[in-house]
Amino acid sequence: MPSDGSVVISTTRMNRILEVDVERRIAWVEPGVINLELTRHLAGTGLHFAPDPSSQSACTIGGNVGTNAGGPHCLLYGVTSVHVAAVEVVLPDGDVVVLGEEEGDAVGYDLRGAFVGGEGTLGIATRIAVRLTPDPPDVRTMLLDFMTIEEAADTVSAVIAAGMVPSALELMDQQVVQAVEPFANAGYSLDAAAVLIVELDGLPAGVAQEAEAVELLALQNGARSVRVAADEEERARIWKGRKAAFGAIATIKPAYYLHDTVIPRTRLAEVISGVNAIAERHGLIGMNVFHAGDGNLHPLLVFDDREPGIMDHVYAAGEEIVRLSLEVGGVLSGEHGIGLEKRRFMPLLFSPEDLAAQRLLRDAFDPEGVSNPDKVLPDGPSCGEIQDLPEVPEGTWV
Amino acid sequence: MTASSSPPTGGLLGLSDDALTSCVFCGLCLAHCPTYRVTGDERRSPRGRIALMRAADAGTTVRDAEWHESMDTCLLCLGCQVACPSAVPFNELMHDTRAAVAGVRGVPLWLRLGFAVLVRPRLLRGTSRVLALLQRLRLIPGRFPLPRRLPLRDARSRGRTVGDVVLFTGCVMDAWQPEVHAAVEEVLEACGTTVRRSGDAAGCCGAMHSHAGLEDAARSLAERVMAAIPADVPVLVDSAGCGAALRDYGSLLGTPEAAAFSDRVRDVHEWLAADIERMPAATVGERSTVVVQDPCHLRHAQGKHASVRSVLAPYAETVELDDDGLCCGAGGAFSVLQPGLSAAVRSRKTASIRRAMATTDAVVVVSANPGCAIHLATAGHVVRHPLEVVAERIRGTQEDAHGR
Repeated sequence: MPSDGSVVISTTRMNRILEVDVERRIAWVEPGVINLELTRHLAGTGLHFAPDPSSQSACTIGGNVGTNAGGPHCLLYGVTSVHVAAVEVVLPDGDVVVLGEEEGDAVGYDLRGAFVGGEGTLGIATRIAVRLTPDPPDVRTMLLDFMTIEEAADTVSAVIAAGMVPSALELMDQQVVQAVEPFANAGYSLDAAAVLIVELDGLPAGVAQEAEAVELLALQNGARSVRVAADEEERARIWKGRKAAFGAIATIKPAYYLHDTVIPRTRLAEVISGVNAIAERHGLIGMNVFHAGDGNLHPLLVFDDREPGIMDHVYAAGEEIVRLSLEVGGVLSGEHGIGLEKRRFMPLLFSPEDLAAQRLLRDAFDPEGVSNPDKVLPDGPSCGEIQDLPEVPEGTWV
Repeated sequence: MTASSSPPTGGLLGLSDDALTSCVFCGLCLAHCPTYRVTGDERRSPRGRIALMRAADAGTTVRDAEWHESMDTCLLCLGCQVACPSAVPFNELMHDTRAAVAGVRGVPLWLRLGFAVLVRPRLLRGTSRVLALLQRLRLIPGRFPLPRRLPLRDARSRGRTVGDVVLFTGCVMDAWQPEVHAAVEEVLEACGTTVRRSGDAAGCCGAMHSHAGLEDAARSLAERVMAAIPADVPVLVDSAGCGAALRDYGSLLGTPEAAAFSDRVRDVHEWLAADIERMPAATVGERSTVVVQDPCHLRHAQGKHASVRSVLAPYAETVELDDDGLCCGAGGAFSVLQPGLSAAVRSRKTASIRRAMATTDAVVVVSANPGCAIHLATAGHVVRHPLEVVAERIRGTQEDAHGR
């Protein structure tokens, strides 16, 4: 979404995998390489690229760097920033620099860390050195179903509280399951209020022990059934459904608006029922499919965009969802970034001093403000909006 | 494809509103679109094409040269349709769009002439003999999308007038690759199945006409095929493109008769795989390794690509490609209409084939579609029909290199 008068630079065609160093577990790629293609390319090396957004069959590594993308498995393996060793960047003044180091920590300030998630406001990545992750020796994928969302959310909290960190903990509500099951044939229960995918990986003995513990906790918290994927094919189907969920929405309505906030895990159930109430009040369908393990919500507002005036409701409901998330102590975005859409909410989360400090960082990279103008920071024409916004709510954490 | 599942919008292209709005623009199709993969251009992607269709149907964009280019560059491989979690009927949308465009813009004269030859079997064979002769005289450059060695005479056939099954022989394949029909007939007869050929009376299936938006021509060809194959026996097809077209007659014509006909159509591998026990044991030759290329119209349109492996299993080792079934770029007449894009798409396929061959001792690619076979052969690969490989192992004598 370019702002008025700006030029779009697309790096989609820079799609070569330049170098894979299996021994040092580093690959240099161009930004247009599709996330899943890199992992496919690595087949047989025992390595993979860990960030796996749901859109991984379509999204690019450059995009992953721009938004500091997550994905189901970042619960254990961390978001994109952890997996980027170095980036070659064309700075807004045309200088080409390499931020970060292939090995070890960069000397001085971690400018690589600042760049990842910069949403194109700090420059353009042209080559990226990504860290490759060894494939786990053993993986167990479990499918749990519940008759209430609360029970599923309680199970998530219980698993984490027990000291386990599954590689993924994903929750889907009934409407999402009903939309995607016909496509994926994943075996999700259509009559359950919520389906939880738990994936454990590591050494076989540890995985087996954890799987038993998860099953016990799930049953104690009201799980109706616990299924363990018998083979790779069944595991692939369970994930296919989760990762295709957004795309299946058109089976219900022609359009959706996807939100991305993070809330404390312990308040999942209450926020989801709040989200659904907001959607209902605005005549929209609220659906939920998200990274439950780290409290990263992805509420979907589902609607028919041919209905006159519907977009006003979609925007209003979206704002209420963001405010609700912040009220319970959450943050604006888990992995999709701020962009144009959420910059007006930035003052809800950050003080003017915080925002001024962020502005200084941006100015250091791009003093003239030419790189992806009008994104992320609320400035220029939106200054008025900042004044209108209320104080940062109590209990907000950053 | 005009027998849409829902009423049209009354928009400028007359597309189905439900079909148009069934896309939420999630982008999961992009990786499965061969033209997007080689161009990185949204306008060469299913999502971009649907956006342009919507805009043109609503009249919010002008149908300029770029708009047409976006539609003309679609291979109709249907990789996107299979990848779509919302089951967007992309095949229906693109066919309806092309039909609407053909009605306004028309179809180039030379293409219509080409199609006119396709539907006249004797003229097609005559033209092919001339081409074969020119080829022997080395007057046709090797890059032309023709088989390496066009036949100078017909392949043998038992010429039965009744059979347990009808083998659909089509147009180009009958004229250019008669050895494939011969091999298929041989395998079927060896399984104890008598084969009657559909022959000249049935002729062309009309797939290419339909792809070009010539829906009336496609419908009349469908009527001709159905009239020439009246008996209530299975209709077996050894060309994936024709098979997909025949299976589509039900929706193309929208009649119960056409639907019943489509129900009788089987890809020949699908039919053999359903009762694999009847296939004879391999008696001659070595068990070789072949690379399997899935034609889009077998994999995406018909979903029957697994049967090729089942049928080959007793006779050869099979190696899979690592490109997730991405199109080879042949696309019926596409290789002639869009040669540059077609070759670019093919280079991805040939790279994948080379990777598969690098780790095995395979030198032969098998493809169950004449268009793909010719397209890949033009790039230097040795391509056989899967049942040619089977026929050689049950024959008793090795076939010569005729037509490869």
